[in-house]
Amino acid sequence: MPSTRPLRPFLFTSLLLALVVAVAPVTAQAPKTGGVLVTSPLSATPSLSPHEESTIATVQQASPCFNNLVYYDPARKQESVDTIIPELAEKWSWQDNYRNLVFFLRKDVKWHDGKPFTSQDVKYTFDMVRGAPDAKARLKVNPRKLWYEAVEAIEAPDPYTVVFRLKHPQPSLLLMLASGYSPVYPAHVPVAEFKNKCVGTGPFKLKDNKPGELVEYVRNPDYFVKGRPYLDGIKFVIIRDRSTQIAALQSGQLDVAGSGWNKTNAENARSGAPKLIIGEADSNVNDNVLINFKKAPFNDVRIRRAINLALDRKAYLIGPRQGAATFGGALLPRPAGVWGLTAPEVAKLPGMGDAKKQKAEAKKLLAEAGFTASNPLKIVVATRALAIYVDTASWMVDQLEQVGVQATLEQIETGVWHPKMTRLEYQVALNLTGVGVDDPDAQLFENYHCGSQRNFSGYCSEEIDRLMAQQSQTLDRAKRLALVNEIDRKLQADGARPILGWGKQYEVHWPHVKGWAVHENSIYNVGRRQDVWLDK
Amino acid sequence: MATIPAFDLAIPETLPVARTRRAAFGRFVRKNPLGAVGGLLMLLLIFAALGADVLATHNPVRTSTHVLVAPGGDFWLGTDNLGRDLYSRVVHGSRISLAVGLASTLVGGVLGGLLGLLSGYVGGRTDLLLQRVMDVMQALPILVLALVLAAALGPSLTNTIAAISVVIVPRAARVVRASVLSIREFVYVESARALGVGHARVALRHILPNTFGPFIVLLTAQLGGAILVEAALSFLGLGVPEPYPSWGRMLSIAAAEYAQKAPWLVIYPGLAISLAVFGTNLLGDALRDSLDPRLRGS
Repeated sequence: MPSTRPLRPFLFTSLLLALVVAVAPVTAQAPKTGGVLVTSPLSATPSLSPHEESTIATVQQASPCFNNLVYYDPARKQESVDTIIPELAEKWSWQDNYRNLVFFLRKDVKWHDGKPFTSQDVKYTFDMVRGAPDAKARLKVNPRKLWYEAVEAIEAPDPYTVVFRLKHPQPSLLLMLASGYSPVYPAHVPVAEFKNKCVGTGPFKLKDNKPGELVEYVRNPDYFVKGRPYLDGIKFVIIRDRSTQIAALQSGQLDVAGSGWNKTNAENARSGAPKLIIGEADSNVNDNVLINFKKAPFNDVRIRRAINLALDRKAYLIGPRQGAATFGGALLPRPAGVWGLTAPEVAKLPGMGDAKKQKAEAKKLLAEAGFTASNPLKIVVATRALAIYVDTASWMVDQLEQVGVQATLEQIETGVWHPKMTRLEYQVALNLTGVGVDDPDAQLFENYHCGSQRNFSGYCSEEIDRLMAQQSQTLDRAKRLALVNEIDRKLQADGARPILGWGKQYEVHWPHVKGWAVHENSIYNVGRRQDVWLDK
Repeated sequence: MATIPAFDLAIPETLPVARTRRAAFGRFVRKNPLGAVGGLLMLLLIFAALGADVLATHNPVRTSTHVLVAPGGDFWLGTDNLGRDLYSRVVHGSRISLAVGLASTLVGGVLGGLLGLLSGYVGGRTDLLLQRVMDVMQALPILVLALVLAAALGPSLTNTIAAISVVIVPRAARVVRASVLSIREFVYVESARALGVGHARVALRHILPNTFGPFIVLLTAQLGGAILVEAALSFLGLGVPEPYPSWGRMLSIAAAEYAQKAPWLVIYPGLAISLAVFGTNLLGDALRDSLDPRLRGS
């Protein structure tokens, strides 16, 4: 009788294979269609026009309606030039040594009102945003005009080709066009209508917009990406109170938590609903100190340095940020960021050393500038009247008092915060800055260039401007990184806008929510949500 | 002839004032034990406010790396999310609560009292006009009116006092006017007028002092309300701004966020507000019982 033993390994392997095949559908589930996802954004949005706003609330609530020429791949956590994917442009090509950027557009795209999408829409949008003399429309507020300063002309030689002609090479242009702040608008819809309405090409069509209450979308059946979106709709419900948001998530009324949650919020939510999933990531949002360069005595470098040294970064991490932040300079530090200073360089920045020694040095600098215990420096620290700002600003007031500065806190309502900062109507302020694209051109030009609308400290250095222009045109990545780091070091030494730290983001959702992407070096470029599905 | 026994009308050389006051105080405590508790709580509040610098164990605005430490050891009531000592903040918070409560009650009470006196004494169109204005002010709930004013004026100690004072004005005006309406018909007032005493003197010297009873009761009752409104305004970010320790502010967003993790952040400031308001209310009720002739015998 032949032995059955030689068959045993074969049988065992077959069994194992069968098991793997049986389990496979569970581990790599096919996305399901249908269902309406309910979430709560950071706050109500002032409009549905991302080009005119500077808040994540607008990007969150408007992104499902629009498309860009190109976008960042939602599935890849770190955004870079290598993670850019096509949207309205099927492909693109840099020509003439980064002087011309040519986009070849899709031919099967329709606006939500049924009209065809063409190259004229792209030209209309970006002529308007860059403030071209012959632009067919103007934006009321244009916070990112500087992004497109290098664009000399936009041409639409045929309905499906667009050429961006540049004054000088600017490899960053492609990255900025991929931002959630750079959607394409329809040329046939007046831009003023985006205050409350939205006509886009995106995966979702606007169903209802009750300002301050909710923004509701339904699936766009004509979306050009076949099989997307998976969801039947998305509902953004405005819940102002954080503890109500937590209760709504715990009770299942929300599928995903609103943004802007800190670690404690996330842990509180999970303590009442253990199945909730928490994701922690860097966010490219920094806490920074604005020191008004246009007002005496803050134009004295000794005063700026003293303020910078007085703020003990380690205490900031433990106190206001509850351990959920990283340290860095003007750009998000590595490894989450692409262009930031290295850890050893960050460790040498003002405020990072021994707290006692630094406070003693701050006192000495203040004394040299003429401010002593008998003649203290009296300042008002302004901040936005939101808990996340006020906590850090209160901490800051105390840190300044420890070096003899008599500081008082002024809370400013959100509606007037940015206009006041733009007009430099403050002495010292605690601010939060979210970076739209982890790219030196986007971050540096917007916040540090002489005359930029969002250069809230009024800092202006010809040398820095020259270096900014130089890095922008540098094609070799290593050389560019070296230049960017040099700029960063100079900005920190000048106390241009002292960075306290880079906050982390906490994303909390129920296990049935799949494909909810989070990027670690920007919170602005993952709002399309066409790949999100509900496993219900 | 029967002799009428002589009464000993000799007056002691020194009046036992202290003994009389002690006896009166004893009677008040026996008749109003709850009022005495209220008075004790008020005394505690005043003591904490006056002695905050000595009673506090830490600087109430000094942050530290001892974040959300539970009560005990160096930090008797624990620390908040910025590492500030909660006991010291609660003690110093009494200063703000009492200052805002007393100042707003006095400003609102005096202003409202004078308006009530004018309204009741002059009567006619002045009375009609002033009372309609008071109607409008009283039609709005206390907190809503204070919120509107505080939002318009901006968060600061002075603005908080101003906002709460305005809320007290119509209430004080109503109480004083009601007293003036009855007092002005008394014979002694008519006699004063007949003797040629001027209106201002009649109003201020002969009528106003007689309205003090109900007025004081009102002020005591409003004090608790003022403390509560200050706490509510600070809770909503419209009262006394950070980093100054205000009980309402301590209860606000940060505390609400950390309440699960660090319940002491809400328990102690909440308890302080409750006791202060409870104390003023009990004292107010007791004073009303003692000063109101209709309730005195009951």
